Amino acid sequence: MTRSQSTIHGPILELRKLTRTFGALTAVNAIDLDIAEGEFFTIVGPSGSGKTTMLRMLAGMEQATSGDILLRGKRINDVPANRRPTCMVFQSLALFPHRTVGQNIEFPMKIRGVDPAKRKERALQLMRQLRLPENYYGKNVTKCSGGERQRVALARALAYDPEILFFDEPLSAIDYKLRKTLERELKDIHRETGKTFVYITHSLEEAMVMSDRIGVMQAGRLIQVGTPNQIYSTPTNRFVSEFIGDVNVIPVHIGPNGKLISDDFAAEFSVPKIPVGFTGGHLVVRPEFVRFLGSGDASENRLTGRVYNEYALGSRIQYQVRVGEAVFIVEKLRQQAYTGGLDDEVAIGWSGADSILVSD
Amino acid sequence: MEAKQTNWRNGLVWTWSLAVVAFLYLPSVCLLLASLTDSRYFTFPITKWGLSWWAKTFNSLEIHALFKTSISIALCVTVISVVIALFGALAFARYEWKGRSIYQKIVLLPIFFPQSVLGLALLLWFNALGLDLSWKSAVFAHLVWIVPVVTLVISIQVYSFDPALEEAAYDLGATRWQVFREVTLPVLFPGIFSGMLFAFLLSWGNFPLSLFTTGADTTIPEYLYAKMVAGYTPGVPVLGTVNTFGAAFLLLGGYGLILWWRRSRIGDSKE
Amino acid sequence: MAMLRQPGPRNAIPLMLLMLVGFAAPLLAVIGFSLVPARSFSLWQMPTLENYAGVFSGTNYISFVYSLVFAALTVIVLAVVCYPVALGLVRVFGKWSMFMSLLFTIPLFVSENVRLYGWVLFFIKNGVLLGTLKTIGIEPESWLFTQSIILFGMVYVYLPFMLFPMTLGISMVPKETRDAAFDLGATRWQVFREVDLPLSMPGITIGFLLSFVLAVGAIAEAKVLGGQRIIPVTHDIEIAFTYAQNWPMGSALSVLLMLVVGVLVLVVLRRFDLDTILGKK
Repeated sequence: MTRSQSTIHGPILELRKLTRTFGALTAVNAIDLDIAEGEFFTIVGPSGSGKTTMLRMLAGMEQATSGDILLRGKRINDVPANRRPTCMVFQSLALFPHRTVGQNIEFPMKIRGVDPAKRKERALQLMRQLRLPENYYGKNVTKCSGGERQRVALARALAYDPEILFFDEPLSAIDYKLRKTLERELKDIHRETGKTFVYITHSLEEAMVMSDRIGVMQAGRLIQVGTPNQIYSTPTNRFVSEFIGDVNVIPVHIGPNGKLISDDFAAEFSVPKIPVGFTGGHLVVRPEFVRFLGSGDASENRLTGRVYNEYALGSRIQYQVRVGEAVFIVEKLRQQAYTGGLDDEVAIGWSGADSILVSD
Repeated sequence: MEAKQTNWRNGLVWTWSLAVVAFLYLPSVCLLLASLTDSRYFTFPITKWGLSWWAKTFNSLEIHALFKTSISIALCVTVISVVIALFGALAFARYEWKGRSIYQKIVLLPIFFPQSVLGLALLLWFNALGLDLSWKSAVFAHLVWIVPVVTLVISIQVYSFDPALEEAAYDLGATRWQVFREVTLPVLFPGIFSGMLFAFLLSWGNFPLSLFTTGADTTIPEYLYAKMVAGYTPGVPVLGTVNTFGAAFLLLGGYGLILWWRRSRIGDSKE
Repeated sequence: MAMLRQPGPRNAIPLMLLMLVGFAAPLLAVIGFSLVPARSFSLWQMPTLENYAGVFSGTNYISFVYSLVFAALTVIVLAVVCYPVALGLVRVFGKWSMFMSLLFTIPLFVSENVRLYGWVLFFIKNGVLLGTLKTIGIEPESWLFTQSIILFGMVYVYLPFMLFPMTLGISMVPKETRDAAFDLGATRWQVFREVDLPLSMPGITIGFLLSFVLAVGAIAEAKVLGGQRIIPVTHDIEIAFTYAQNWPMGSALSVLLMLVVGVLVLVVLRRFDLDTILGKK
């Protein structure tokens, strides 16, 4: 059951044919998107996909070449960043090195002319909320650890009391373990504050953990928008399916008999239904849906090859199976591990219903 | 074995470098010695030690006037050059713009130019414009050379400045002026301070530009030169020593201040 | 006009105006004066090349050659003197590095003729050196007023201008790259030739250029230490402007000097990306 909050609230942010070009390069190409009030929306894409440019346009730091940005139905293209009720947490965090933790958090309130006692009260309250010790109020930000700096940056953004928070890959420079903790904390803060979060990252894994919905960007276009589950289980094209992680993406075409033929594996594959007009594309098979077949086991799709190597991935083990020159990957839970030796001949198979056919 | 070899090599580098330092400061020591004699001409070993030339120099009205001229030029140059160079450095290192790389090279040109020729060129130019030469024209001449130097000094600080700091402040509601006052200026301050020191000291010690552009006014380096070429007095080593120690004092003091500052900023302020 | 609304060009305006009025215009004035008949003091006359012809038919070209040769020699001596020091500043002095750099910076701010005068007091008859030698009974000739002491003085004055760019260059060589080269079997000399030298070349080249250009314009060394044993081109220029009252001749000499310097600077600087050298992250 997915909680897509877009069904509960109207959109807070609407993008209409939003475009940004730099000379001959179209960094963001006619994007249409609605982001719902209170939603945690993540834009995922490789570097150079235009996601940062898009976020900077939403925050008001980059001018749109054409198209509209609507905030609660009002066009805000020409409202400068300092007058938009939105706030960004930067990749570098952009904490003011000449200010203490407290002064950093109070900055937006100072700019707004809030009196010092109230400022301090609110800053301490935010520090409590973000689990920063109270005695950090007078600490120099440059002396804080990575995780602490992260929290200060978030506290400073929240002190602005924005309606939407933007995040520009703030966790990309943080080591794995701390990143996992901070991802969860960020999602908790999202729940506590009820604000709309728009997050960009190049890691789909990170997006999956936190987001209500994910948009996948490639070469300036939003190529798929959906819940984490939708993105994971039904990628609409080859790019999205490969972006998710280790999957088998097999080039296929329609043979004279109307079946899918793979030249690489010199085999025929079957799926429940081939869409009308499909002539060629890729068959996506997730490694966890593939089984090692015993001698008597039947399978809708079947290949024989040799186990070339195995890789332990935490709770699962991944196997590289070589079928002729071609490589196929299989993943099993540790308790269902493959028991044969390397270079042994094995048969593998999967159900056609577990594979996805994409047309590009 | 390897460590021993490295130690030996490092020792050699240290020895050589200290010898170069000694080489750099030997003339200053000679000046100091020459200023501490009471006789009219300098002979070594010194037979009559004394401070009488220091007293004479400091009481001389002529020297007071020279000081006033030199200080006026140096202070004007410092203020004007830091303002121009701060903006110049932002254009040099902070913003991406078409023509920036040409601009960077134009900024360097006066530094890579013989100063005596630049001084003469300015003399010709002032003359062609029909300007009267005085310490004010020397201020302008100094600026042509010192502004580029100060721009480079501040640029080095600007390069390490994260532009996202300005964007963040702007995003948090600050106006352009508030961004400049609250973020840009304080973060760049160490660079601006070094630039001020450089501007003051370079102007104070400049000879080739002053020579051609001060007109009837005389700066201390010009006076010293005149006295060196004709009419030595022990006032020359006195002033030379004052200049050297003054520069050392300002520079060491200034960098001491920056270090102290940085340390006090890093040390947590008490609640 | 639209361009001036961008922050980059807008911030560059004051400096560019200064360069226009204080650098480009005076140089144009010099070029203008070099084209008017000898001994005139006004720009508005029939242009002529007689001053340039005069430079090559007279003896002025000799001082030109002297200046170039002495500048080249200065650069060579400085390269040898400064390299170990620059190496020390980057890799050996550690926490003393900052203090050592300051020691090398301070003399920059003392007028060069004052510092050269210290050498006069050192080398002069009955000065610090000869006076000391006299007490132990040795009385050699003074080194002052010879050709070689002029070179000595130039090396002394321009040392920081070689040292600091060189230091910057050497600091651009990452330690890991050197370690990798050692690890791949290179000898110390090979590491120097294959890694250190090419990677620190931008800084070293700028040091060469800067000290050469400044040394070509040197004047005080010959006057203060050399007793005019050598007449550098800058001295000829000054004479033309002052005693000889021949501005066009002085201008023609200046233009030739500017040409040498300008071509050299432009050719060398063209090759460099200043952002990388000055430490853009």
